[in-house]
Amino acid sequence: MKAAVSLAVVVSALVGCAGDVDEPWFLDHDRIVAVRATPPGGASGERLVLDALIGTKGAPTHVATPEVATVVSPPSLAGVLAPAAEGWVVTAPDEATLAAARTELGLAAGAPVPVQVGVAYSAGTLFALKTVWLGEHRDNPVLEGMRIDGTEPGSDRVSVAREVDVPLEVAADPLAMKVNWLTSCGTMHDFDLPAAYLVVEPDDPTDGELAVVVRDRATGGVAWRVWSLSAP
Amino acid sequence: MTFARRVLLVAMLAMAPAGALAQPSPPPDQPEPRPAPTVTARGKVIDASGRPVIGATVTIEGTEIRALSDRTGSFTIDAPMGASLIIEAGGFDLAVWSVTGETLDDVVLLPAGAALETIEMSGEAPAKTPGAATLDRTELQRVPGTGGDIVKALTVMPGVVNLQIPLGYSGVVIRGASPQDSKVLIDDFEVPVLFHNIGFRAVVPADAIASLEFIPGGYDVAYGRASSGIVSLTTRGGSEDRSTQTEVSMIDGGLLAQGPLGKRTRYMLGLRRSTIDFILPSIIPESVDLSLTTVPSYWDEQLRIDHQLSGRWRLSLSSIGSDDTFELYTTKDDEAATKRFYNRTRFLRLTAAAKYYNGPWSANLALSGLLQQFVFEAGVFQYIDVRQPTVTPRAEVTRTYARLAGLTDAVWRFGGEASIGRNSVNLALPLEVREGEPPPPFDLEEVTEVYKGTIWVPDFTAWTALTASLDPRIRFTGGLRAEYFARPEELALQPRGELSIKVAQPWTVRLSAGAFRRPPEYQSENLYKNLKSERSMQTILGLQYEPREGVRVQSSVYYIDRTRLITHTMDNSLGNDGRGTTSGAEFLGTYRGGPWFAWLSYSYSHSTREDAPGQPERLFSFDQPHSVNAALSWKRGRWQLGGRWQLYSGLPYTPVMGSVFESDRNLYIPVYDEVNSARAPIHHQLDLRVDYTRGVGPVALTGFIDVQNVYMNESVVTYFYSYDYSEQIAFKSLPIIPSLGLRGVW
Repeated sequence: MKAAVSLAVVVSALVGCAGDVDEPWFLDHDRIVAVRATPPGGASGERLVLDALIGTKGAPTHVATPEVATVVSPPSLAGVLAPAAEGWVVTAPDEATLAAARTELGLAAGAPVPVQVGVAYSAGTLFALKTVWLGEHRDNPVLEGMRIDGTEPGSDRVSVAREVDVPLEVAADPLAMKVNWLTSCGTMHDFDLPAAYLVVEPDDPTDGELAVVVRDRATGGVAWRVWSLSAP
Repeated sequence: MTFARRVLLVAMLAMAPAGALAQPSPPPDQPEPRPAPTVTARGKVIDASGRPVIGATVTIEGTEIRALSDRTGSFTIDAPMGASLIIEAGGFDLAVWSVTGETLDDVVLLPAGAALETIEMSGEAPAKTPGAATLDRTELQRVPGTGGDIVKALTVMPGVVNLQIPLGYSGVVIRGASPQDSKVLIDDFEVPVLFHNIGFRAVVPADAIASLEFIPGGYDVAYGRASSGIVSLTTRGGSEDRSTQTEVSMIDGGLLAQGPLGKRTRYMLGLRRSTIDFILPSIIPESVDLSLTTVPSYWDEQLRIDHQLSGRWRLSLSSIGSDDTFELYTTKDDEAATKRFYNRTRFLRLTAAAKYYNGPWSANLALSGLLQQFVFEAGVFQYIDVRQPTVTPRAEVTRTYARLAGLTDAVWRFGGEASIGRNSVNLALPLEVREGEPPPPFDLEEVTEVYKGTIWVPDFTAWTALTASLDPRIRFTGGLRAEYFARPEELALQPRGELSIKVAQPWTVRLSAGAFRRPPEYQSENLYKNLKSERSMQTILGLQYEPREGVRVQSSVYYIDRTRLITHTMDNSLGNDGRGTTSGAEFLGTYRGGPWFAWLSYSYSHSTREDAPGQPERLFSFDQPHSVNAALSWKRGRWQLGGRWQLYSGLPYTPVMGSVFESDRNLYIPVYDEVNSARAPIHHQLDLRVDYTRGVGPVALTGFIDVQNVYMNESVVTYFYSYDYSEQIAFKSLPIIPSLGLRGVW
């Protein structure tokens, strides 16, 4: 067998991060940062409420319910999603419907059923897919062990020094959790590791936001926290 | 010397120009005539069938000055105009040739004792494949912009896709075919990788190579396992005089030693190690999130021992090896396993070969073994570890006939080869990306293909061919190659033929056509037992014009039909559903004379693919319609100067129309436009090279500077996208790439 995986993969990855474009950790950008279902999985009859953390260029982030949502798969469960007072809600159907869906998807009896939901924001310019799990209750993760510059952040406003490494930490097993640190103030390093660090360079904005998003690979759960950040 | 050889020698001496045989003393009252000017004479030694004679000794008569013919039969010797050269080789009668200029006619050696037979010889090499070209070591090293690298020098060849960076480990793109469709051979056997993974240097330095033969298509039945072209590198045999040379540049440094081991044995040993790994850590900015726990580095080695066992037997032992490794973390934290990348690529090929000559019979026998390993680990989920020991015995027998069934100068060859490989595979990788498929998002957690096991790949091949002249102007070759690929249980019959007609001096027309196969062996192809070989049918029409010594102009047009191409099926497995065509035209003009070496090539190509029946036709991913290469080199005394100008089309790419964010994976999934519906812009650049040699004691020291892209044309190689595909990033070539080096020979 001739293998063709090469250093080019690594080079590509590095080059991809090196251009004059917005980095994946940059918050001051029109984007969906994360979509959340609360809870991410539910037993029959449970209601899963959808919302998302939205980044907007030139404005602070905000949490919003989808403007439009639809079930992408499986089509047989299209009816589980409906608008409600609190936004778009997925309601886990009865066991008979779930059993039929399991058969459709080739899943084992009793297995949680993935339902992929498409959501749209910003007048339909931003799209995202989110998978919720039906037939089994699941919880979003809880953010623990948060430390910014060595101390636990006590409020939603954080101040850091400029031109120094500011360590950022969250307690998370990198094999079980996906971690993302984001900012609109400073340059983020190791943004996808539980222990990252931030440097506010001379050319960087001195006011903005800092956010951390943690995704649980096993449950599909999501948690985030956002701080106002300044570097006087 | 046998009586027959003496008769032949006397006869040839009698035919030589009188001036070369006798230098009458000037009358005492006349001034001493000026000595004949010394020229650097080039020639080629071939046998009656036109095949190169390797290791022939070329001696200036009456002196001890000698040269040896290399693997292509070529030799170079500094000799006075008019001098006689005596050419000797085991298994052949002696020949005498006269130095009439810098480019000599081909020297044709008769089989030993053949002078007693009635043999008619045209004295010309047989028709080569249309579009084929050969560069010897000194010419390879004169091509500016290559840093003396032989594989980079390939890009001057018409029909080779040119790009500012190499296209991959596995090869070159020839006449609109993927890299894996062509083979690069070293001493007749394939090597698994061509480039080191840093510095993009070939695994064999130019100093260890005698010549490079480029056959873009229509090649002989002795070559196989490829559906496009062949690049055949011949390692350099040791010379009669012992010498050592060393070269150091910013990329690597090496040592090459060669010479005799007794009267019948010669050796060549080369070793090279990267030096860029000593420099790299200091040039990476501190702000870059990178930990080089094993700085990318490489070794390679070349060994060749030739032994003249007797007049009939010549033995050789050769070895080519390479070892690349790196380990890095895309973070300062060198314990962050999710951001770790590790690679180890190494191989060792060992070949024992024997050549036998006995009158009209000759034979090439070889046994080659290959050990190779490829390991790549990305993050904690993706890895591949492939170990492939392969044994390849090979034999070819040749019989020449002065006349055979009304034909003249006939050469009948038959041969066979077995390739038995054992692949130990352990992998967990995302779905591989095949030619024409736009890249998926970069996700170190995606694992689609998982396999652990052993795959035996035994292939067996036999071939036969007859080359003969129908009359003095028409020569043909007809042959058949039969391959049995045991894993897919497929018998592949490949008839091939070539017709060469000298329409009028100095014009020659050539027509070549044939069938070619590439077995399923690339990337994960071996994991699918049902896959058959890819097929191509090639038709090539060529025209060659050689108005005088040193000047050659050749052009060709071709059409290639490709079927059973291996593509992804609807269920993401692999099948033989693809097809494609390539048509093109090539032009090559070369001049070799005095201090000058000039090269002008142009290629036009149009290559398309259809991934499955009913699918729309699309451009081939390496489709390059236009490519121009103009090179000029001048060498005199201590100085060698050269320039090369290139202009070529950018490659196609598939633009992105938008993307969808997959929140749980934290990835954007691109939405692509039609495959290869856009193209990178055209590129042009000028490269310059200067060499200066000076003696320092016993050492001939050469310093060189090779500068690529001297007028700093910053052009686009290809495009990348930002993480959410909202912004397109042009990946541009470096504005200027200087390469400095120092070589010492003693």
